[in-house]
Amino acid sequence: MDVSNILASHAAKFQSVTVEKETPLDVDTGFLTVTDLTPIDEDSYKYDRLSNLEEYLQMTARDGIQALVAALYGLPTQPSPDGPLAQLPAPITQLPRTKPLPKPKPPTKWERFAAAKGIQKRVRDKKVWDEERQEWINRWGKDGKNKEKEEQWIHEVKADAPVDHDPAKAARDARTSRVAKNERQRLQNNARAQSAAGDREERKKDIERTLATTRMSTASMGRFDKKLEGEKKLRGVKRKKHLSSKKNRHHLPYYRSWTGDVKRARKEKGAGDGILNVRKAIRNVSKGKGGVALAREANRKGAKGKRGGKR
Amino acid sequence: MLRTVKPRNARSKRALEAREAKEVEDVRTAIFVKGTHTGEIVNGVMKELMALKRPDTISFSKKNTIHPFEDASSLEFWAGKNDASMFLVGQSTKKRPAGLIIARTFDSRLLDMCELGVDKFVSMAEFKTPKSTPGHKPMMHFASELFDTHPRFVQVKSLLMDLFNGEVIDSICLPGLEHVISVSVGPAPSLQTVNPILGDSQEEDIQNLPKIHIRTYTVKLLPSGTRVPRVELTEMGPFLDLSLRRHQAADPEMWKAAMRRPKLKKQDLEKGLGKKKKNMEVDEMGDLRGRLHIAKQDLNKLQTRKMKGLKSIPVEEDGSSDGGEQEEEPRQKKRKWD
Repeated sequence: MDVSNILASHAAKFQSVTVEKETPLDVDTGFLTVTDLTPIDEDSYKYDRLSNLEEYLQMTARDGIQALVAALYGLPTQPSPDGPLAQLPAPITQLPRTKPLPKPKPPTKWERFAAAKGIQKRVRDKKVWDEERQEWINRWGKDGKNKEKEEQWIHEVKADAPVDHDPAKAARDARTSRVAKNERQRLQNNARAQSAAGDREERKKDIERTLATTRMSTASMGRFDKKLEGEKKLRGVKRKKHLSSKKNRHHLPYYRSWTGDVKRARKEKGAGDGILNVRKAIRNVSKGKGGVALAREANRKGAKGKRGGKR
Repeated sequence: MLRTVKPRNARSKRALEAREAKEVEDVRTAIFVKGTHTGEIVNGVMKELMALKRPDTISFSKKNTIHPFEDASSLEFWAGKNDASMFLVGQSTKKRPAGLIIARTFDSRLLDMCELGVDKFVSMAEFKTPKSTPGHKPMMHFASELFDTHPRFVQVKSLLMDLFNGEVIDSICLPGLEHVISVSVGPAPSLQTVNPILGDSQEEDIQNLPKIHIRTYTVKLLPSGTRVPRVELTEMGPFLDLSLRRHQAADPEMWKAAMRRPKLKKQDLEKGLGKKKKNMEVDEMGDLRGRLHIAKQDLNKLQTRKMKGLKSIPVEEDGSSDGGEQEEEPRQKKRKWD
């Protein structure tokens, strides 16, 4: 039996669904996107632009979308009232995020303890069964089970209880103190989490920076400021010297050149013939005041002598 | 400095939580901003692009004195205020007629921008054809090798995908595929001959870059005799011919932070998302089920029930303690088995 005729007629009825391209299409089903890496056909782009271009663009788009649809229909599906739902894989193309990745929440003290001990987390129901009332009631909150003791109309009181003992108040106080404790622990956990996140460190650094600037803004680098407890000593900063002041003029270059001889003598350790240490000798004679002072002294002595002679 | 907004009531708390960073993010909301002067073409383009992007859009109807390439602080402020991370700024000036700037942000800071000039615009209304339903996800088609090679076009592709198709979804209704946004690029006129020494002179490059053609079609799925239907496209509009103008690439550090991916969850890993694992599957209840293959068991070493009579007792030398032991034994045994 020859079925080629039947096949041919069948093929004629349905147009092809296969797309043949030189470079394979880049299909990203996760983002429903297809990229055709074939460069555009320049001839159909240039000549007879007005009508041909639109046709050409539509044709390439059709081919690309046909490949994408084929890929989508090849995915596993799930039935739904609106039609089959194709289960999409994760997208290949990487697009930038809108916000940075969420930071994991630091564990509370209890969570750390539970993890160390291997205690499983168990979610308690909000409702508990009340045997007397034969219904489900809240564990806490409105008409909560935890308020049962303070709201009952009759209380058991021990025989030796003080006169002013109020059992309802005692139960209430016990409950509120439990709530307060929980709140305190929550706040401590929050503080711990913040310090772990580095907020505290950041703030500490900021304060230190401010302190350093305030110190540096005084002439004495805060040497005479009031010290606080635990205040750190500032390191690596030096006073800026005003060269024009009398005290610091030895930094000036011309002043240096005046006194250069002495300095040079100082530098040349054991200068001269090697027997006499000039530097030491000057120091000894001038009683530690230096060569300049010695010269001044000598001049003054000379002047004195002259004056004395006149008398 | 360490300012944190504390919600005053449950509703504002929910609203703040919705704005927090998530592992799998929502779709980018786009704000459409008009500059000091827009003109008919830009107005039309913005309106129609907004129709395609809807419902994740916010329209700023008033004019704004805004120049994103000089100062992006307004964009960053709006991004934080509106929880939006994409901007389309329309502006028409004498120097740059009919301009459209696409910008996106990361963590309320500007990530990258691209300016496009609208050369030709054909509105949706000019095609008397059926239109797609608003809110349906489009399919996207990019046709050119430049989208993989040229940095400017890579950026354009990334921006357009983020604008129209950026949401990560796990399933799609196949009959709901209604329209296609097709982006093609004209032939590259000897782009490779641009000497790298003059690469910095942007103006030179821009003249050489080919045009971008954005076309929008509706899809008709015809039976083909196989499972895969045959696709037919019908023009829907808008049609845009765009030319590239200025751009600002992302800061590498910020881009790196923006491209950071969350670690795959344990269940996803077990499912084989990260790496294929053999003989393992997660059933509907979320339990991990595995199939083990064990070598043949050696039954000779099997531990059966211990019986006293079969035990090999070492020969005792002391006979005097014999009686006492016998007395002890049954009591001990009883305690053990009860």
